Amino acid sequence: MTMEQYSSISLDMGGGGQKSSELISDIRKIIKDVGKWKNTGDDGAIFKIPRNAGNLIFTTDAFIIDPIFFPGGDIGKIAMCGTINDLSVMGARPIGISLSIVIEEGFPRDDLMKILRSINKVSQESGVPVVTGDTKVTEKGKIDKIEITTSGVGLAQNVIQNNGVEPGDLIIASGDLGEHTIALLAKRFNYQTKIKSDSKALDKEIEKVGGYLNACKDPTRGGLAANLSEMAEKSKVKIVLNERDLPYKKEVKAVTELLGLDVFSLASEGRFLASVSPKNAQKALKILKTFNREAKIIGKAQKAKNKQEIGVYFETELGGSRKIESPRGKLIPRIC
Amino acid sequence: MEKSEMLEKINKLAGEIGRDVNLMEVCGTHTQVISRSGICKVLPKNVHLITGPGCPVCVTAQGDIDAIISLALAGVPVATYGDLLRVPGQFGSLDQAREKGAKVFDVYSTEDALKLKEENPDLVFFGLGFETTTPMTAWAIKKGLTVYSTHKRFLPAMEALLAAGEVRIDGFIDPGHVSAIIGERPYDDLDAAQVITGFTEDDVLQGILMLLDQIKENRKDVENQYKRVVKKEGNKNARKIINEVFEIGDGDWRGFGIIANSGLEIREKYEKFDAKKKYKSILDKIDFSKSVDPNGCRCGDVIRGMINPKQCPMFARVCTPENPVGPCMVSVEGACHNFFREAE
Repeated sequence: MTMEQYSSISLDMGGGGQKSSELISDIRKIIKDVGKWKNTGDDGAIFKIPRNAGNLIFTTDAFIIDPIFFPGGDIGKIAMCGTINDLSVMGARPIGISLSIVIEEGFPRDDLMKILRSINKVSQESGVPVVTGDTKVTEKGKIDKIEITTSGVGLAQNVIQNNGVEPGDLIIASGDLGEHTIALLAKRFNYQTKIKSDSKALDKEIEKVGGYLNACKDPTRGGLAANLSEMAEKSKVKIVLNERDLPYKKEVKAVTELLGLDVFSLASEGRFLASVSPKNAQKALKILKTFNREAKIIGKAQKAKNKQEIGVYFETELGGSRKIESPRGKLIPRIC
Repeated sequence: MEKSEMLEKINKLAGEIGRDVNLMEVCGTHTQVISRSGICKVLPKNVHLITGPGCPVCVTAQGDIDAIISLALAGVPVATYGDLLRVPGQFGSLDQAREKGAKVFDVYSTEDALKLKEENPDLVFFGLGFETTTPMTAWAIKKGLTVYSTHKRFLPAMEALLAAGEVRIDGFIDPGHVSAIIGERPYDDLDAAQVITGFTEDDVLQGILMLLDQIKENRKDVENQYKRVVKKEGNKNARKIINEVFEIGDGDWRGFGIIANSGLEIREKYEKFDAKKKYKSILDKIDFSKSVDPNGCRCGDVIRGMINPKQCPMFARVCTPENPVGPCMVSVEGACHNFFREAE
């Protein structure tokens, strides 16, 4: 595949797809040194604490989102859950979060307080404290309303990575997917829907099942399409999903059909996808169902016969098979 | 009827017909559904599904794309639907214009465009699509949105396909969303079997089944499989607002060129919202002789159903969804894009 050199940054490069990887690889060409830290392309970096005292996991994420308030949450909740979840999916217990907020001049105080209260709520409920932070205010028009960055550290005895999928593993979704994107879209389009954002902290459920998981990732930006594909690629396996077991609610599918969106690209902010060996799958599933009744096995990993076969495939009832590709980042509704 | 039962009947009918049958689908959403479901793989060998000119981004003429990019580069704020931003032209794409500092917005609806207009009073909306999207544009023009219209009537393209006779078309899978506006009657004059079809896998299978039934009995009727949405008389209110704001002109289509009476231009009554008139001085400076298909791109042939995307030498080699050469690879409704996404 030919890849043209870019001369300026395009929006695609923030979308989490192939163009993002291009940007990240350019960043890494200049900033190479990671010291004693290990970074394998998971959401967090790993620092092995001497004398087998476990691993320190460190992650960071910047949040810009439109609208900032939506059914089931707001930018504050997402910023907290996002970082807690990035630590959790690596098998780490989050121990502290930093919070940086950039606010546009003129931003309503009430809205800021509301966002801070939801940050506090996630912190209280998960027991993960916000330990340090920074605030800046920019001139009107320099940013869009508010931007939040959270970083987090966690401790993990055994690190779970997204490249550990083994042929034969079963793929579990911790619940139905895509409800975060649908809640956001419904708000934008003024649709009446009961769907709320699925954003929540995942630390407790992953702590319970962590020992069973060979690989794990939360399907945020890019949804299942981007994140399960990444797991398959890094683990060099073929993952096959079955149409009958797809983890999407009827109402979510209905909205995607109405707008002509790809359901696999919808983001979740409180779900994870995990790869589990067949002997542990039922045990893990039983525990996960106590957190979310919709947790289920959605597919199976197989040995990829060749490089081309690596990836995620979706088998339809009719016997069709389609490779699920990482989206370009932006959701494009149909116009025909 | 269960899928397996429909397939059984399709197989039986195809066997009875005996010869090759070409069915053309002419709506981007059908292209997506057919590709995603893998319907092609389970159809009998003599039943061929061909993608026609149903992808609005794909059929938009190169000259119109170059025109809107020129406006953006001249400092006019421009808004349109997401896919179009990546279609390349003689001045690059709208996406590239934005990177250079042009004000380019992608919107989900004309309502979004009206909101953007509050902060960008000179905003021009690039209106594209068939009867499906035209009513929303008409509504927005009445609310004061300035529009560069490339809206098109769909039926003249189907007539042009049949008249050209380059590809034998035994039946059309008629577009469900377009039909919801225009109704059943306009299809009567077309010389082919037709079924207005919905967008689930079951709908498409049933549409194919109904078409084969017509072909076997040598009928050329217009049947409606999508009755739950498409009324016989269509949507009168939507047509009324289209007629109020637009008049019929000649439309420029990629792959076809000018098709008489297929274009929708803004009426004189609303001319102050017509970007083609408002910015005539900028548009007149464009050398449209350079508005040609990218070198080697065969989108035009794909749009007319002459070749299947895999027959284009650039398909998947030079031209991919990440680095598209032509609009059929750009648009999620395009034939090339969907062929690329299909697993081997």
